[in-house]
Amino acid sequence: MRSRDPGSDAALMRAFSRREPGAAEGLYERYASRIYGLGIVMLGNDATAQDLVQDTFVKLWRSAERYEPSRGKLDTWVLLVARSLAIDALRRRVLDARSLQAIGLPGEVSGEPGPEEVAETADLADRARRAMVSLSDGQRAALELAYFGGKTSAEVAEMEGIPLGTAKTRIRTALLRLREAMEEHREV
Amino acid sequence: MRCDEVREVLAEHLLGTLPEPEDLEVRGHLRGCAGCRREMAALAEGVSLFSRAAHETAPPEGLKERVLSVLEEEWAQQPAPAGAARKWNWMAAAAAIVVLAGSLGWAAAADRRAVRYEADAANYQNFLGVLGGENVRVGTLSPRGSRDLHGSVVLYDAKAGEQSWALLLVRAPGMEGTADVTLSSSDGRTIRLHELTFEAGGDASTWLVTSSSLKPYDRVAVTAPDGTQIATGTISGERTPTG
Repeated sequence: MRSRDPGSDAALMRAFSRREPGAAEGLYERYASRIYGLGIVMLGNDATAQDLVQDTFVKLWRSAERYEPSRGKLDTWVLLVARSLAIDALRRRVLDARSLQAIGLPGEVSGEPGPEEVAETADLADRARRAMVSLSDGQRAALELAYFGGKTSAEVAEMEGIPLGTAKTRIRTALLRLREAMEEHREV
Repeated sequence: MRCDEVREVLAEHLLGTLPEPEDLEVRGHLRGCAGCRREMAALAEGVSLFSRAAHETAPPEGLKERVLSVLEEEWAQQPAPAGAARKWNWMAAAAAIVVLAGSLGWAAAADRRAVRYEADAANYQNFLGVLGGENVRVGTLSPRGSRDLHGSVVLYDAKAGEQSWALLLVRAPGMEGTADVTLSSSDGRTIRLHELTFEAGGDASTWLVTSSSLKPYDRVAVTAPDGTQIATGTISGERTPTG
């Protein structure tokens, strides 16, 4: 399993906050595809996904000095920043009540980039997708609600009609199972 | 919290969905428990993998240039990085302290003799003359709520094309941690100073040196990391030298 040194995360963010050459580009190369993809999945179209990438990088810049490696991986921090902005955008959209129909998965949006346009070049991404198959439907649903929707375990439990303890276990097990499955695919 | 209790909610902590009181306890536990930190690292790998599997999509061409260009704009309006701004730090701080002292002197003078205004105005004019700027404005911080807090902000408006700066000094006994300081204008623009870090005793200061004009900015707000406003102030007292 490839694992980034937390020190390199901290160094990258320090360099970014100091505007050192290449740092912003390095962050973009590392995260843009996942932030853009998150926008496609959560917001449903290319334009808002591009806006999400831009807004996320501005927010990362404005809060770069607050990143503490001891509190978690840079991956998680960046993705939660992006998710938070996407949820804000969805709330605004609902409040505006103009684009309710646009909320949906990429497959439901015609003419917009969909999964078929996903770059297949990243080996890690391919293996991650294969690892997803190892999750049960319940695990995947619980994880998607918590990850994309920012739902608490209690909310996941209510939405899925399962006990709170089960919701917690499904989310935790899903994450650990993904990691284990990746290891298995790597060894094949 | 015990390890088993922490591990039960670690995924929520990681996904940012754990309510704050419990999340604080988890963070405290993690600082002193290597085992739970390892568990969290494993879960974090899972989050990272999920993000790749669930929504990694190649962004369109041109987006990279757009984002980097926006960051360039952002950098042009934000405080210079520590290294690049080093030569300005001492000048800005020293000058602002002089101005602040002068401003307090003005206030005291207002309570005493009108004749002092003339001397103050002359001093002010000399000061601006030395710096080559257009104006110096001062604001006083007012605490929000019952907090014991005192502070001032000074803005130096440079001539076009030169560096303007702002300095904020605050004392809030018992205050710890960090806070954000934002200047805002009546038309909705904002600009942030460097993060404020409270030292023992509650003293803190921060500053900003920028090539952007600070003239539109006439309000200041100090905000805790949780978004709560600690203090606000109106920057006024524009002083037109009268000779």
